[in-house]
Amino acid sequence: MINIVTTKFAFDRTTLPFRTDFSAAGTTWILSTNSLEVLRTVADWRVPRKQIPNKTLEMEIVVDGAPDNSRERKAHFRGVRHLVFAFISPRSFVAYDLARRRVHAVLSTTAAGDACFWKTLLIPITIGILGTTVGVVPLHCACLERNGRGLLVAGVSGAGKSTLAAAMALLGFRIISDDWTYVSKGETDLVAHGLLAPVKLLPDTVRFFSELRNFTPSTALNGELAYQIDPQSLGCEVGETSSPRAIFFLDRCSTGGCHLLPCPSEQVRTYFENSAERLPEEIPQAKAFRTEVIRTLAARPAWIVRSDASPQETARVIEDFLLEGDYATV
Amino acid sequence: MQPSESWRYEDPLDVLRRFIPTPLRARYRIESVGVTVETNDFGLLPALPLQQPDLHPREESMVDWKLIRDHDSHGMLESPRFLTAGSLTIVEMGTACLLGMDRERRELLGFIGAGVDARTYREFLVPFLCEMTVQGFSTDQSFLSFSSGREFGDD
Repeated sequence: MINIVTTKFAFDRTTLPFRTDFSAAGTTWILSTNSLEVLRTVADWRVPRKQIPNKTLEMEIVVDGAPDNSRERKAHFRGVRHLVFAFISPRSFVAYDLARRRVHAVLSTTAAGDACFWKTLLIPITIGILGTTVGVVPLHCACLERNGRGLLVAGVSGAGKSTLAAAMALLGFRIISDDWTYVSKGETDLVAHGLLAPVKLLPDTVRFFSELRNFTPSTALNGELAYQIDPQSLGCEVGETSSPRAIFFLDRCSTGGCHLLPCPSEQVRTYFENSAERLPEEIPQAKAFRTEVIRTLAARPAWIVRSDASPQETARVIEDFLLEGDYATV
Repeated sequence: MQPSESWRYEDPLDVLRRFIPTPLRARYRIESVGVTVETNDFGLLPALPLQQPDLHPREESMVDWKLIRDHDSHGMLESPRFLTAGSLTIVEMGTACLLGMDRERRELLGFIGAGVDARTYREFLVPFLCEMTVQGFSTDQSFLSFSSGREFGDD
């Protein structure tokens, strides 16, 4: 028999006396916590911005200093109706309430003070789960920019879009995001947001980028071993937002070389609908908003990039295609 | 040249297991509360008094349980951690048991891992769920006061 010791955390104004707000990927976060360390960690994200009610989420964080209260475990996510539960290393548990746009988290002391945890895990995961409820649609694609024009680079997991995005960034494109791009509706157009998160490159990409030899791969959230590189450390230019004007779908196949084919808008819509997590019926407005954003995107020019060429070569073909101005007239 | 199909996803993702079908349903009565249990596993339908079919409980006395057997979670139950925020109470016992009780929406939702055997479910989790339900949906909305002396395990 095991004697149970329960641990209880109440989330209210008495237990969470410290408050601040900050911005990330077009959303505003109102944060309450019991920890000054958390306030220090999010200070870098603080951008004075007007709070817009339907773009604001509330996050309540208890930092639990008791070292044995939670076992270390692999990332684990489950959702049912409007609730999502997440175990995130190191030793942290987060509950998401999509109906009320609220997050309740018990963080370990290590997680609370780790800026990398916030930047690469907590904030992206939170926007990934709650984003559509606060007017930001997470889309499975990279975003780059050239001459003020945003380009989304999409493709199924393993297609090599991060590798292509890195090659394009090294070619001079400004990189906004790598694996996930967060799209909101601006005053006149869609806005693609990035989180300045590291680019994730699999170990075998070292054959394309000799620069990676100076780095060591680490285990990513999905358990994969990968280089997680700050693009700026490779000399790439990084941006926070862009306006997406065109979409490229990377299709790795053995056809010889690299060819661009027009992609019908219906296929663009299907890709983005199917590459995002299904949303529950409990948040109909969020579902409708995502559908609207994807429909708007699907009206943009789009191409399938069929390539078995190197990422650098593929990036150059795309660059040449853009320079020729073809995409403006298709 | 026709575009290939390999660059796109065939079906929407359900990484969070939100859309696991829960076709099994039964109605129970726990003290004054009527409970509809919805699940994907016969083993999670509790041995509780059934709601009499000729009774029509008022909607405000009904609570929905949605209990999903999580076949991909093989861990054992761990000591519970309660998170209470407004009308929401979350209980995690490791990946083997994740529960969310929403008093406003009158729902108790959760995942029960494959590692939770029938006896542990019957002797520990069902009484635990009943206690949550009675306390959560009674007029007393005070902080849940589950006893720390409760026992579970595989003796």
